[in-house]
Amino acid sequence: MLAYGAGDAGAFETLYARHRGGLFRFVLRAVKDRGVAEELFQEVWVRVIEARGRYAPKARFITWLYTIAHNLLVDHWRKKGLSLVALDGDDVSSESANPARQAESREALARLVHALESLPAAQREAFLLHEEGGLSVAEIAAATGVGEEAAKSRLRYAMTKLKAAVDDG
Amino acid sequence: MADDDDISRRYRELPREEPPRHLDDAILAAARRAVHTRPAPLVVPSGRQRWYFPLAAAAIIVLAVAVTVHVEREQPAEDMLSSNTATAPAAAREAVPPAPAAEPAAPARAPSAPAGAPPSQRRFEMRDEARAQKPPPAPSSDERARNEAAPAVLQKAPTEQSAGAVMGRVEAPKAVGAPPPQAAPAPEAKPAERTKAAIATTRLAASAVQSPEQWLQGIADLRKQARHEEADKELAEFRKRYPDYKIPLAMRERVERR
Repeated sequence: MLAYGAGDAGAFETLYARHRGGLFRFVLRAVKDRGVAEELFQEVWVRVIEARGRYAPKARFITWLYTIAHNLLVDHWRKKGLSLVALDGDDVSSESANPARQAESREALARLVHALESLPAAQREAFLLHEEGGLSVAEIAAATGVGEEAAKSRLRYAMTKLKAAVDDG
Repeated sequence: MADDDDISRRYRELPREEPPRHLDDAILAAARRAVHTRPAPLVVPSGRQRWYFPLAAAAIIVLAVAVTVHVEREQPAEDMLSSNTATAPAAAREAVPPAPAAEPAAPARAPSAPAGAPPSQRRFEMRDEARAQKPPPAPSSDERARNEAAPAVLQKAPTEQSAGAVMGRVEAPKAVGAPPPQAAPAPEAKPAERTKAAIATTRLAASAVQSPEQWLQGIADLRKQARHEEADKELAEFRKRYPDYKIPLAMRERVERR
């Protein structure tokens, strides 16, 4: 990113090639709408391009990248009248959120996908940051602006629910 | 922890969605536009940049050395050519001197002759001038000895003669295209001839500062001495030299034969 900030467009291409897939899946699985996901994905990279001159390597680039994505997702949920905080409880209950019931007639992967979609947004985000971005708990905490304990708890709940959904099959 | 790994493994079995190609192109184009640079070349440019300046400097040095050597090799030939061209006009001037070159010699010589110079001196002078204007005829041995001896005398004259005489003398050989000093076989000339030539040269130098009035006075003196034939010749020569000179009436009575 520093090389790109110095004017090396090739450095950006390297960064983009390295993170494009994970970021896109992170956004896509967070919003569940391909059109919206593409729009947000592009917006993340536009923010990166605009911030090239003031980028300071305080953390790994990927943490900074997913922080931008997280902030855009927050904005997206706010526009839709939703809130990550409101969905951040592990007591969210609905019929569609019950992995065991919906995974009965599906393949394990289908159950996993459904369970992932059924996760509370904050937990899903923590899981996706961990899986797609390879972020540690501390990095997830930094990217999402919460304490490490909260990040760890979210990730733990997400893992437990997803495992339960898969095992139910 | 094993459960986490199992979930991760299952998650990676899900379809790996990728952003569409047009989105990739749009983002990369925006990134390139932002830095106003071209796409990164396939070959890393650092190698080319590393060698470009030393290579260019070496090429310039080689070129400069080659041009210098070439110029230095060409220089002697040019020097020879220029020395040849410098001597060629001198030779041409000696062979066929142009009329304008002979013209300035007359005024220079005319005001420098002393009054009462013998006509023989002037004849010598005229003969010399005629030689400058015409292709040189084969001179007699006496004349040749005199002409060739003259520059040798002129070479040491500046310490012996007056300034005015020196000026006239230096001018005269140039005007008549006298042979260069190195061609003068002065040492070989006989003592009598050498003395004669020296006297003639001295008279020539004296006549070089002669003015028209002085020339006319000399003709009048010839008349007075009843040397009318010489006076006629001198007068004719004078009129040829100064066709526009209006001889005063009193002087005309003295120089013309009555």
